Amino acid sequence: MHGCVNVANWPLLPLWLLGMLLLTQPVWAANFQILHAETQLHEGVYLVNADMHFELSADSREALDNSVPLTVQLTFQVRRQRDWLWDQVIASVQQRYQLQYHSLAQQYVVTNLNSHQRHSFPTYAAAMEYIGRLRGFPLLDQTLLDADTRYQVRLRAELDIHSLPAPLRPLAYVSRAWRLRSHWYSWML
Amino acid sequence: MIDSLRHRPLLPMLLLFGLMLLALLMMSDATQHSERFNELYFWLLVFSAGGLVLLTVLIGVGLYQLMHRYRQHEPGSRLSLRLMVLFVALALVPVGVVYHFSLQFLQRGIDSWFDVRIEDALNDALELGRSALDLRMREALKQTQRIAEDLRQPNRTGVAMQLDEMLTYTEATELTLFGQNGRIIATASLDPLRIVPHQPPDIVFLQVRQGHDYLSLDPIHNVGFHIRVMVPVPSVGSADETRMLQALFPVPSRLGELADSVQSAFDSYRELKFLRNPLKTSFILTLSLVLLFGVLAAFWAALYAAQRLVAPIRELAEGTRAVAAGDYDRQLPLTSNDELGFLVHSFNQMTRNLAHARLAEQRSQQLLKRQRTYLQAVLARLSSGVLTFDHSGCLRTYNIAAEQILHTRLGKRVGRSSDDHPPNHSPSQHIQRFFEALKPWLQHPEDWRQEVTLFAGTGRLVLMCRGSSLPDPDRLRGGHVVVFDDITALVQAQRDAAWAEVARRLAHEIKNPLTPIQLATERIRHKYLKQMEPEQARVLDRGTQTIIQQVQSMKEIVNDFNNYARPTRLNMTPIAVNRFISELLYPYRSNRHGIRVVFAADTADPTLMADASRLRQLLHNLIQNSLEALSETGGQLTVCTRVCSDQGQEHLQVQICDDGPGFPDGRIGNMFEPYVTTKPKGTGLGLAIVRKIVDEHGGLIDLANPPEGGAQVTIRLPLNSPSCATTEENKA
Repeated sequence: MHGCVNVANWPLLPLWLLGMLLLTQPVWAANFQILHAETQLHEGVYLVNADMHFELSADSREALDNSVPLTVQLTFQVRRQRDWLWDQVIASVQQRYQLQYHSLAQQYVVTNLNSHQRHSFPTYAAAMEYIGRLRGFPLLDQTLLDADTRYQVRLRAELDIHSLPAPLRPLAYVSRAWRLRSHWYSWML
Repeated sequence: MIDSLRHRPLLPMLLLFGLMLLALLMMSDATQHSERFNELYFWLLVFSAGGLVLLTVLIGVGLYQLMHRYRQHEPGSRLSLRLMVLFVALALVPVGVVYHFSLQFLQRGIDSWFDVRIEDALNDALELGRSALDLRMREALKQTQRIAEDLRQPNRTGVAMQLDEMLTYTEATELTLFGQNGRIIATASLDPLRIVPHQPPDIVFLQVRQGHDYLSLDPIHNVGFHIRVMVPVPSVGSADETRMLQALFPVPSRLGELADSVQSAFDSYRELKFLRNPLKTSFILTLSLVLLFGVLAAFWAALYAAQRLVAPIRELAEGTRAVAAGDYDRQLPLTSNDELGFLVHSFNQMTRNLAHARLAEQRSQQLLKRQRTYLQAVLARLSSGVLTFDHSGCLRTYNIAAEQILHTRLGKRVGRSSDDHPPNHSPSQHIQRFFEALKPWLQHPEDWRQEVTLFAGTGRLVLMCRGSSLPDPDRLRGGHVVVFDDITALVQAQRDAAWAEVARRLAHEIKNPLTPIQLATERIRHKYLKQMEPEQARVLDRGTQTIIQQVQSMKEIVNDFNNYARPTRLNMTPIAVNRFISELLYPYRSNRHGIRVVFAADTADPTLMADASRLRQLLHNLIQNSLEALSETGGQLTVCTRVCSDQGQEHLQVQICDDGPGFPDGRIGNMFEPYVTTKPKGTGLGLAIVRKIVDEHGGLIDLANPPEGGAQVTIRLPLNSPSCATTEENKA
């Protein structure tokens, strides 16, 4: 339980809070990385294929091994590029996976929260590999796009700390170990 | 200061407190419910921390101002500080106690959720579940291995049919045959809707491909627990690819439910156990934030309340200080109706009364001042000098006439007695003598009159003083008032008038019969002297001659009186004194009695405005008196002149001394009166005329018998004084 902070031992709570707030920044690509992503047009639908690498921090891994469900969220944004104005987000799609350790089965269960499909994996690495390999994810219909406009797709992966159990959330908000997030990975549609 | 307190932003502060309270409530809610305020938690935390920092800064500023006022000794600051410390202590102690016990209860309460026995029981239940399923799983493995063995030899009906067939005599719900690369060769399922089989993870393929069996319990969505078995299918020939068979066996529903329940309970317990410390941290964080907010709010409230409570007292203190400094118009605003309001009301009433009293006092002082000015004006216009002395003999007041009569400034003598001279001030001798002359009379309880004769720098002063004790009902003031007039001219006039009368009578009563007597005697002599016998004629001649001589002598005496009594018109001319006296003494130096005549002249060689003939007569009379006194014994006659200065007024002092027998004892006082003489042939007019001439010149003459013997006559005549001419004109 070394990830927990005993607040009662901190007499200067406000200073600690302020310091934590100032120092707290997302742990960038060191843990969550998007290696490659692309879009394919298949029967009028843009499908996304992406290869990602996810590595949980020690704190989050410990929580996972203690049956705390973790949620990994992929966020896709389709942006229309404009010459004189900032880009316009015309579509935002999320793909969420819940990762949980099953004590009885001794399996890591990955649940696709969009489709509610479950997959069991005997090892953590297999589960993370499964999440990190996205194939044929339907992004949007081609008909929704203008032919003569340039579109950019962005992808970001992050650990959804809002979905954590309530007692963990305050710590997750202020601790670097819990702020796992990748850079935006962009490519042209 | 009072205004700033009055306009202290109480409303914004209450708003801040309300917002912070709301934020803390939302934070507390967010830590307990996963849905509400989740997104806001971070910003709520930031807002709360910011609010606490702002509150700390405000308190710091307030404390700094309070300490600054305390160091400046501003009224009320000490009480404010004391009240604030008291309030804070009153707030901190119970809050601290509650916080301490809350922490204890929190720790113990959360810890009490966990019990080693429950944990053991759950572990045992999990182990039991696993054991129960393990048997089933082994059975499933055996069945799968048999099926795999059966699949080794391909059936005529095809693999798919073969799998369908196998489903019927095994407990499997789904059988799938995979190729080397994970490709599905054939599948059979009891679920007619299921077309795509449950795909195993890649790692399972890898394991089976290496010749190991795979056996696991998979929780499958909407289906419950399933036993997933995957085994390699032995190939017939070496050229055949390795195939893999996956079989899914259902867990009996009751067993599945029980396993699910155990699994759920175990995972929940494990999660809860893991979350124990974060839970504590979260609760303590929220509790500490609430406590910090409460303490800071109490601190601010204490600061505010202390200053608010002390404000009227400070106003009162400032008002009192203003009144002490003389600002009687200070009115304090009445802000409350409590005891402090009553005090403020009383203070305002007091200042109003003080203002009225001060106005009345100012009026009475103005009245007094006017009366004093009036009295001073009256005194200033009095021709008499007025002096007042206190009970200890110190001069208190004087009027202008007093200074004019005494020819001196009296300002420096105010508050001093006759013995006490002002510093750096040499008092004029006549003023000192005057005060010494008055001193014995100042203790006199009754009214008194006294004539005081002084020699001022301007000449002789005869002052008629009248004194009276001042009333002293409260033994506070009292003292003495002395009114005096310059009666020098009056005395002189009275004396002149008296002697003019004497002269007139002498002329009328004595001189008129003398001529007939002389004429008759001469006629008798002329008629009978030739006819008589020589003897008789000799008697007649002697007799008539005696009569004629005596009558002549009487005529001379009468003429002397005339000279004395007749008003004289002085012919004032500047006289070089040393030369004048030197010439005058010349005939006396060769006298027949061998008397030595010495003249000690002042080196300053003064010039005196005087009538030369009268001055000559004065000196002749005095020198002749001395020579007559020395005629029998011989001796020395000394005349000396000296210029003396008294308070800026110069006068000439002429002393005539001899070493004769001196003046008879007890008669010095009336030696200047007419007909007073010690000589057998004297007329008694010599010194009287001398005194008259000195008076005419505004001088003073003193007779004395010095201790070393002889007689000493001192004459003091004013140098460059206009009073001589004035005196003579008055007399004329």
